[in-house]
Amino acid sequence: MSALLTPELLRRLEQFQLLARRRAKSSARGERRSRARGQSVEFADYRNYVAGDDFRYLDWNLYGRLERLFLKLYEEERELPVRIFLDASESMTFGEPRKFDFARQVAAAVGYVALCGFDRVSVVTFPDLEATAENSAELAARGALRAVRGRKSALQFFQSINELTARGATALNESLRRGALQARQAGAAVVLSDFLDPAGYESGLTALVGRGFQVSAVQILARDELSPATFGDLRLIDSETGGQQEVTFGKYRLNAYRQTVENFCQRLREFCTVRGVNFFRAASDTPLEDLLLKQLRQAEVWG
Amino acid sequence: MNFFAPAAFWFAAAIPVVVLFYLLKRKRVVRLVSSTLLWQKYLAETQASAPFQRLRHNWLLILQLLMLALAIFALARPYFAGKVTSSRLQVVILDASASMQSTDESPSRFEKARAGALKLVDGLRDTDQMVVLQAGASTEVKRSKTSEKSALRRAIQDCVVTDSPTRLNEALKMAESLTRDNNEAEVHLFSDGAAPGMKELENKGLRLVYHQVGRSANNLGVVTLDVRPNPEEPSQRAIFTSVANFSAEEKKTEVELLFDGALIETKPLTIAPTNTTPAVFLAAQPRDGVFTVRITAKDDMPADNQASIVSLLPQPVKVLLVTRGDRFLEKALKAAGKVELSVATDVAEERPAVDLVVLDNVAPSAWPTVNVLAFRSMATNWFESLGDVETPVIVDWRSAHPLMRFASLDNVAVAKAVGVKTPSWAVSVVDSPQTPLILAGELGRQRIVWIGFDVLESTWPLRVSFPIFIANAVDWLNPASIQAAQLLVHAGDPFRLALTEPVKAAEITLPDESKKNLAVDPNARELVFGDTAKHGVYRLSAGTNQTVFCVNLLDAAESDTRPREELDFGKFGSVTATTTRRASLEMWRWVAAIGLAVLLFEWWYYHRRTA
Repeated sequence: MSALLTPELLRRLEQFQLLARRRAKSSARGERRSRARGQSVEFADYRNYVAGDDFRYLDWNLYGRLERLFLKLYEEERELPVRIFLDASESMTFGEPRKFDFARQVAAAVGYVALCGFDRVSVVTFPDLEATAENSAELAARGALRAVRGRKSALQFFQSINELTARGATALNESLRRGALQARQAGAAVVLSDFLDPAGYESGLTALVGRGFQVSAVQILARDELSPATFGDLRLIDSETGGQQEVTFGKYRLNAYRQTVENFCQRLREFCTVRGVNFFRAASDTPLEDLLLKQLRQAEVWG
Repeated sequence: MNFFAPAAFWFAAAIPVVVLFYLLKRKRVVRLVSSTLLWQKYLAETQASAPFQRLRHNWLLILQLLMLALAIFALARPYFAGKVTSSRLQVVILDASASMQSTDESPSRFEKARAGALKLVDGLRDTDQMVVLQAGASTEVKRSKTSEKSALRRAIQDCVVTDSPTRLNEALKMAESLTRDNNEAEVHLFSDGAAPGMKELENKGLRLVYHQVGRSANNLGVVTLDVRPNPEEPSQRAIFTSVANFSAEEKKTEVELLFDGALIETKPLTIAPTNTTPAVFLAAQPRDGVFTVRITAKDDMPADNQASIVSLLPQPVKVLLVTRGDRFLEKALKAAGKVELSVATDVAEERPAVDLVVLDNVAPSAWPTVNVLAFRSMATNWFESLGDVETPVIVDWRSAHPLMRFASLDNVAVAKAVGVKTPSWAVSVVDSPQTPLILAGELGRQRIVWIGFDVLESTWPLRVSFPIFIANAVDWLNPASIQAAQLLVHAGDPFRLALTEPVKAAEITLPDESKKNLAVDPNARELVFGDTAKHGVYRLSAGTNQTVFCVNLLDAAESDTRPREELDFGKFGSVTATTTRRASLEMWRWVAAIGLAVLLFEWWYYHRRTA
């Protein structure tokens, strides 16, 4: 169906459904249980009949026993808006396979699960692109990904994701904050990024949580970032900022570097745990199934 | 500290070059990374971009500069300041005398001296030359002038300590002759200073460095030994010995007397510090043999704890008196111990069958070649007469001479004497202002005592000293006693034996039972054996002749092992022991080794950072 996900994986993903911890607040109808009362097959409550109510919902059996009119209330099923924040900054192009490819696969998988569950999926790709002629195709794809619904849209969804490219400097905080504000209803949010933003990630994630999103953060790092294989006198060039730094790095310092990375990740994990955010970390060269079928399931993001 | 090659400090010009290399931008591998966020920790270290800031805390640079400094330092060949005066020629004198065997230094004084000498060799510059002398009873040149260190080390290792007394004079004179025309020459004497007779040394302009070894003296030594017939009991022998204590405290010991190895008697002896105590043993002697005196106390120096002496049974002395009649003389000769006296008016043969001939104012028809006691008679080859001297007054006599033992010439008046000049082969025993009155000496192999006056023309025969003198003269001229005296040899001195028959070969059994063969010239009339460095009893068999002789230290000066801080050179001053001046010890090897260590550390450090 697409290069992003194998048919086998898609078939397995179809069995999943995003698990919402809260009742859906969306105004659109869907397959999610919501606090709103409406028409579905799930009985919710009774209430006294008042003039003007639809007779069709009267409980005639009860009327026969008590001779009073009660109205049967059913839960209204509504959709769960799923927002996928996809980091398409320059730093995501590193790694073998590329972190961005991995992130797209995850986004496709999450989106597919949501689409199968008749949830509305919107993919927010950041940073923003300037509107130029050469960017037009991608801008169109980004636009198409703003709101996707229904399983039949899956193919289109995958194609649009495939057209995305990664470039520019991350503005993680700003993008998340804006995404939180733009959403009409809070729902599930999945942040796919390497979180390597000099400005940090704290305010962005806080904004999402504060808006009521059920946030899952997936940190994707390249193997080379976890344990570098280049040693010696190096001049490092930051892909996003273009900043140059000179470093002398040797094997003897590898452990110290790993510890640095571990500390960075640990700080992120703690930050997430405190705010009730599901945190996942994956190296771009690990099997996708491991993250999708094991980690996300165990964390009850879906089931 | 000083430097042999200070020019090497020009290499210091390389230091700015090294710094310059560090100032130059290092070629770095450019690498694009996703984010430098994770590298912040490492960036901090190398972030300083100003050149001089970058030099701060750069341990690699510091290590390299240190290594370079050490290399330059090593190239400059540093050595310690006290050794600036390291000379072009050094003469090393190793004292190999008996006192150097003392064990107050560990393992012995000699080994310490050897170690010091080896150190001196280590400090030798490549162009320096060294001579190694070993000073024992005689001075041996162990290694002539060379700058080859291995040969010098070998020579010093070859030196062995002997049982002999020191003759430093000889060694120092040799050193002086070696260094005479060399202003920069230095003589290094490794000794404990236990040596006699330094006062006569003409130490003019000799640059002597005295490396003193030895810390304390704890030594008892047998310093004299003699054996005589017991005057009170002619069948017995009296053994006179004395033991000296050179330590600072009183010592008790037992003195053992052995005859041919069998213990005869033991005497306890208590000796005050720095004193000498005599001991006399009386012992019957059934046969010719060796008396050994041994002290049992333990001390630092074992070489002088034992002394041996050969004692031969007394034989009658055959004396031929050629005289026109002198009853005093005849009586005196008869009284002089075991004498078989025969009287004649003339002697016709050169070798009469007697031990000695007394010529009483006669001119014999043939001058005998045996030992002679002559009154006024003189052969033409002895000396020339200068005419008679009327009433010479006796002003002096050599009381130390064996002839004058217990003989005092007070109150002796002489009417007329023959005036002569003392010849080179004799010493004057009794002197008057005009002429020597009594001469004694050895001409060829013949001992001669000459009295320049007729005893009947003096008051001497009436004095008690006359028979004593005659007895002394008979004893001194007796070939048997001469030989007995020759059988007692000081260590290091050669042993001489007159040969009565020509022999071709001789064999000597040393004290340690090893045997040595001597080749003898068939025409030689005397056998000389010089290898007497070890004390003990030697047995010589030459032809049919069996001779036993004893080698002893018997030297009070050598037994006195007290270390001397100062060597006395009489009127020419003294040399004080040096402790500060040592060999000019070059250090470049150590500095280079440290430099190598720094290099290795730098290599490791570099790879720790970048590997």
